[in-house]
Amino acid sequence: MKSKVMLIIVLALLLALVGTSAAQSTTVLRVASTAGVTTWDPALSFSTEALYMANIYETLVRVNAPGADSEISPVLATDWSSSEDGLTWTFNLREGVLFHDGAPLTADAVKRSIDRAKAISGASFIWLPLESIDVVDDLTVQFNLSYPAPLPLILGSTYAAWIVSPTALDAVDADETYFEAGVAAGTGPYMLADYTPDAEVVLAQHPDYWGGWSDGQFENILISIVADAVTQEQLLRGGEVDLALRMPPSSYQSFVDDEAYNVATETTLFNYVGFLNVLRAPLDNQAFRQALSYSVPYEDMIAVAVEGLGTQARGPVPDGVFPFSEDVPQYSFDPDVAQRLLEESGVDPSTVTLRMTYAAENTIEESMAPLLKDAWEETLGITVEVEAILFGQQWQEAKADPAAAQDIFLLLYWPTYSDAGSDNLLSMFRSSEAPFFNLSYWANETFDTLVDDAIVISGTDPDAAQAMYTEAMTLLVEDAPGLFFMDVGTWYAVPTYLDGFAYNLNYPFSIDFYAITLAQ
Amino acid sequence: MRKLEYTLRRLLLSLGVLIGMTIVTFVLTRVVPSNPAALYLGQRARPEQIEAITQELGLDDPLPVQYIRYMNDLLHGDLGDSLATKRPVTKEILSRIPATAELLVTAIVIAISVGIPLGVFSAQLHGKPADVGVRTVSIIGVSIPQFWLGLILQLVFGLWVGLFPIAGRVDSTLRFSSPIEDITGLFVLDTFITGNWIAFKDVSLHLILPAITLAAYPIGLIARMTRATMIEVLGQNYIRTAEAYGIARRMIVYVYALKNAIIPTLTVIGLTFAYSLTGAFYVEIIFNWPGLGLFTARSFLNLDFPAIMGITLFGATGYIIINLLIDLLQAYLDPRVSLD
Repeated sequence: MKSKVMLIIVLALLLALVGTSAAQSTTVLRVASTAGVTTWDPALSFSTEALYMANIYETLVRVNAPGADSEISPVLATDWSSSEDGLTWTFNLREGVLFHDGAPLTADAVKRSIDRAKAISGASFIWLPLESIDVVDDLTVQFNLSYPAPLPLILGSTYAAWIVSPTALDAVDADETYFEAGVAAGTGPYMLADYTPDAEVVLAQHPDYWGGWSDGQFENILISIVADAVTQEQLLRGGEVDLALRMPPSSYQSFVDDEAYNVATETTLFNYVGFLNVLRAPLDNQAFRQALSYSVPYEDMIAVAVEGLGTQARGPVPDGVFPFSEDVPQYSFDPDVAQRLLEESGVDPSTVTLRMTYAAENTIEESMAPLLKDAWEETLGITVEVEAILFGQQWQEAKADPAAAQDIFLLLYWPTYSDAGSDNLLSMFRSSEAPFFNLSYWANETFDTLVDDAIVISGTDPDAAQAMYTEAMTLLVEDAPGLFFMDVGTWYAVPTYLDGFAYNLNYPFSIDFYAITLAQ
Repeated sequence: MRKLEYTLRRLLLSLGVLIGMTIVTFVLTRVVPSNPAALYLGQRARPEQIEAITQELGLDDPLPVQYIRYMNDLLHGDLGDSLATKRPVTKEILSRIPATAELLVTAIVIAISVGIPLGVFSAQLHGKPADVGVRTVSIIGVSIPQFWLGLILQLVFGLWVGLFPIAGRVDSTLRFSSPIEDITGLFVLDTFITGNWIAFKDVSLHLILPAITLAAYPIGLIARMTRATMIEVLGQNYIRTAEAYGIARRMIVYVYALKNAIIPTLTVIGLTFAYSLTGAFYVEIIFNWPGLGLFTARSFLNLDFPAIMGITLFGATGYIIINLLIDLLQAYLDPRVSLD
């Protein structure tokens, strides 16, 4: 009898405990994201914390998604002009803007923020053309360049271009770890309210935000850091979060079929390439490299690895960003041509064993690797060994001793700012004595010259620069030191009770929470 | 006195084990082809930055020099800074212990409360269908992959039935309505102490599915071990004598027999407790539980050497202490167990 009473009490307690989550209101927008925080220092930031930085800090201008009325929108700057030679740019700043700590936006804050980013940022290379910054008056700032680069694109970068409060800059001058305790001081719509490493980031409205606030916007943004895509999906479906920023590609169709969600597919600037180590035989043979390129099952790869959310790449510059060009040639899966090229190369396939590595943490590369292995072994009769290792190890191996490194290196790449000429082409295929991302170790003087010249004139004569880049990319694809697999897309399932969600491919890690409102 | 000597001797030996463990882990983490400086700075750091941080962290020093420096820092309570979070590893570990402890203790309490009665029940019905049933459940508990069980529980009880939250330790929006006062870091306890019943309900609900997932393996193990030892004990003469005296069956089973049968099970419970720390890796990932397991998994994925060293040291120390406590407890419960 006693045990039955106990059982009833326990069951009653359990039933009392069970409940559901609170109804949706504008108090808080709950988001699940994989975005960890490498640093809270806006100058050092060069990773996934861009999700938070983009809502806390602002840049002078913003680069719009393709299809917008204008390429650039003003943010902290209201208007700008450049000299005829493209070497001097003057920006007028917005009046009445306050940082989260109450300090006003000034030209001096802009100069100090960018000077600091240029000096210490991992993305400091974007400031290569910048010679100096002059403070003309409190709200006017002048940039002096060494060559006419497209400055607004650089100023709109998602890294190394945030404008920071002078008070915080003073503090970080005194203590370089100042930001790491979870301190932020920008002009953005949201302030950093709380941060639990690897677990949670809480953003709260900046009451004095220059853009103002209206009904329906969220007072707080609560981002749970959830590493697992399946868990994110379950949280969204269970109503425990309002947005899940990474879900399994295989779940796409089920959300499309669900009326409770608006599903949007987007192109991104994420581009998959495979470096062919041209220092190692037989990859030093152009015809053999082309044979490999003709035996890549491009369509199958897109269907399997990204569930159809992607397109075959045209070189290393993804569709949607300068200097992408439809004129750059593509290979196709053509076993006959591949066989002919293999014969031309004079390579005996039975003697060839290629070692291919991919980043173990990248599930798309994990799906690509066996498809490539099968296709090459079946089409060309060579042997391919596939090895999954962590990206850091893979990269380290490639750089340690190029001649002994892996034969094929799969890589996911994206431009740091909206100019893939001065990033993707320069970083991945321009020759240098100490290769950084040029891990095919390819060196071609004509390509180098074309890219170098195009970078210098891209600010003043983008058409001529585009022509040079196209020529360089054509040369690159034909010589095939890399395999150009695909530009991948992404998708989002947004509950119908939310409005304003938008993805801008120029800011691949960021979502503008200010634009999101509760549907009326 | 003998117990004190024994304890001191074991602690001294444990120190040797720990030093050996630091050497092995240190060498292993350094021979992996990777560059800690590059990891510290992130994937797209420039060569000159990597060079600067290599010098700053002393990564270009010979390995023995780096090891001695590490041990020197360790003796001063400094496990270095995490390459991923840039925060002191000691702080990272300490801040995550309460979450894991709460999960682990709950799982073990569930495992003991379910496993021991199941084992006893099964032993009493030795050979009957109910015994076969319990043994089958035990085998399933031991062999079912935790990550799979976790996902199924999430799907069934979180998503379909909607009884329990799917992931996390607490509904984060409570910070705006019923914030939890952090006293011990154990949320269930803190909310109970402060009478924050809304949060108490929420954190208890969040705890149930991950704790059951983590408890599945120990339930099976404890039930099997209890069953085996109980069958042996129940066959002994003193039990038959007790039965002959007409002592109540329940008294014989739960007092006289179980007290003797529990000793080998205690060792299993101790080892299971330590083993569950590793099980917590999967469970914490699946349930996004912000504890040591999640931190460990991320540290391994990021090749975060200082964090890996710190966690290994912490885990090994925990394992040694738990083993020692179990040995002492066994000696206390069973005078035949020698401490020599």
